[in-house]
Amino acid sequence: MQLQPGAAGFIHKIEGMNPILRRRLADLGVSEGVNIRLKGKGPFMGPITLECNGQLFAIRRKEASMIEVNVS
Amino acid sequence: MSSIALVGNPNTGKTSLFNTLTTSYEYVGNWSGVTVEKKIGNLKNGAGKLIDLPGIYSLHPLSRDEGVAAQYLIEESPEALINIVDASQLERNLLLTLQLLEYGKPTLIGLNMIDVANARGIRINQTILQARLGVTVLPLIARTGKGSVQMLSVLEESSAIPAVKFKLNYGEVVERAISSIEKELRSIKDLPNHRWVALQLLEQNPVILQILKSRTDITGLLNICEACQSELQIKKLALTLPQWIRSNRMEYIRSICDDVLDTSTQKPHNLTERLDSVLTHRFLGLPLFIFFMYALFKTTFDWVGGPLSDIVDGLISGPISDGTNSLLQTIGASNFTHALIVDGIIGGVGGVLVFVPQIFILFLIISFLEDSGYMARVCLLMDSTMERMGLNGKAFIPFIIGFGCNVPAIMAARSIEQPKDRMLTTLLMPLMSCSARLPVYALFAVVFFPEQQAFAVLSMYVMGIVFALILCKVFSKYLFKNESSVFIIELPPYRMPQIKTLSRSTWEKGKGFLRKAGTIILAGSAIIWFMSYAGPGGFDVEMDHSYLAKFGGMIAPLLEPLGFGTWQAGSTLVPGFLAKEVVVSTMNIIYHAPDTAGLENQISQVFTPLSAISFMAFILLYIPCLATVGVIKKETASWKWTFFSIGYSLALAYIVSFVIFQGGRLLGWS
Repeated sequence: MQLQPGAAGFIHKIEGMNPILRRRLADLGVSEGVNIRLKGKGPFMGPITLECNGQLFAIRRKEASMIEVNVS
Repeated sequence: MSSIALVGNPNTGKTSLFNTLTTSYEYVGNWSGVTVEKKIGNLKNGAGKLIDLPGIYSLHPLSRDEGVAAQYLIEESPEALINIVDASQLERNLLLTLQLLEYGKPTLIGLNMIDVANARGIRINQTILQARLGVTVLPLIARTGKGSVQMLSVLEESSAIPAVKFKLNYGEVVERAISSIEKELRSIKDLPNHRWVALQLLEQNPVILQILKSRTDITGLLNICEACQSELQIKKLALTLPQWIRSNRMEYIRSICDDVLDTSTQKPHNLTERLDSVLTHRFLGLPLFIFFMYALFKTTFDWVGGPLSDIVDGLISGPISDGTNSLLQTIGASNFTHALIVDGIIGGVGGVLVFVPQIFILFLIISFLEDSGYMARVCLLMDSTMERMGLNGKAFIPFIIGFGCNVPAIMAARSIEQPKDRMLTTLLMPLMSCSARLPVYALFAVVFFPEQQAFAVLSMYVMGIVFALILCKVFSKYLFKNESSVFIIELPPYRMPQIKTLSRSTWEKGKGFLRKAGTIILAGSAIIWFMSYAGPGGFDVEMDHSYLAKFGGMIAPLLEPLGFGTWQAGSTLVPGFLAKEVVVSTMNIIYHAPDTAGLENQISQVFTPLSAISFMAFILLYIPCLATVGVIKKETASWKWTFFSIGYSLALAYIVSFVIFQGGRLLGWS
């Protein structure tokens, strides 16, 4: 995931992510084909804020990098 | 009496609704998993009981909290369900709704936060939603109580709510598996809707699996699931069974949303966007947070709390103790009674009550941060620091609650998904300065650091945090190897907390302190006073010859290297284990102080600034209080870990105080 803050795209693939996290993201409606937007990056290489279906949430960069996005 | 369960996603306003529908009040918070145990209240119209279950995204649990809901649904049989749905997040919320409808009990849907949804330009066609789901949908604004009257009148006759006839077709392969599981389940008694159980089993819900396992041999059932999954794989329909079930549900939800939702006029959440661009800014965010924490302490101690405490102190040492004095004289009370009431009770309890304003202000500000939505951002800001120490940012919320009281804080740690992170948070919680330790710091800060009170107290809190972080690193490295932590947090939109909710939650948190003042501290003060009044030589002895002095004298040599090897200091530590609030009231009695000024005066003679720091550090770190030990035992379900937390904190306290005092002396301070 190499988006700049404010950029959005459709999720192409999510692979290699911690299964707990994967399930929680799915609960939040984050899955293939959904539009996702990068909102901001936290301090000290901390978590990044994402928006999906109007819901804001934050995950760590390492895990966010598992989300492949087709930039729209 | 009928029982009705309240189920819904986190942050959808379930607890607010619970409070408006029931006569009893429960605490409202704003992060996921705050409702740690199911709470039961009586419906206002007396029609039955309402059970508030923890917020969940689906019945398949990830954290310990979430397991409670699934377990409740399979083991108990509520007459009806109320499913709270956030109107501004309809699509996501409906996933749980479908699982609940499959449960087959009479269900009401409370469509909450329609005001928020409307403000954001989201319109929902309620009639169609109702028709597609086959259950009554009631619009609600739980925060203001709008719609709760209608909800109550429907609940008046819960038996009249029609049972749900919802059935989603999962395709030929899965439907076949469902019917063969249903057949197997027939022999087991006391199960809810068999189709629901079958689906939960196919989804591999661990709670359901566990419960079935305890009642029957489940090999046959598992074989059906296995066969079903491989058939799906062979037909290239899905990789796993849970995935297939989920995608079927999602498809259905999308088709509902297409019909029901009108998002053509949807606007982004402007306020939240603008606030977040500053408050969670990658460079500004952390300094701002530190500034807020500093302001919190300044307000609590210097700006508002201190002056208020002075007023309370004036009242207790002035009119109240004078009044009691003359009253006791008039009724001719014996010397013993007189001394017990004035020195023991008013001295002991009064010395602690002085800190009530500060504690309430601290709680008020913490409640404000919770309700406004800022707390979740703090987790986000802190995660990279916490991750380096082997924890996750979510643990930060329990730690902040720990500033109020360690007991609810340890319970709040249940919302952390991973067992390792939860255990670490629990073990380290006693290092957070709870409000009971605050009186000690406040007292010593006034005496020795009058110019920098807030700073002195803040540095104690910071010291606790620093040690928590260091030990976290150590523990996670040596005690819990090979387990990484995950972090995900939902960020709710910012909103202005309502005064009503704020005052309620502040009161809920603070009343525990008042209750303790009326019970433990009262009893403790009386006992300690009596121990100082009586001695081997009889009653009304010199304090230095009392039982208390003898007792404190035994511990004193141990404390000598720490800089406070007097029997007085020694004897405050033991009751401090029962409740840290008792430390100051013990001092009041021991130093025979008529009021706070008197105690301050005494302390300034007995302690030096250096030994004061050493003493404060010891109070901060040594042994969690009895209530905390109890809850650690309950949450870890292990004596080993409980004793471990007692042991490491005692050792840490001793070492740190030793280093402070001896190190300070070497540097020439005294």
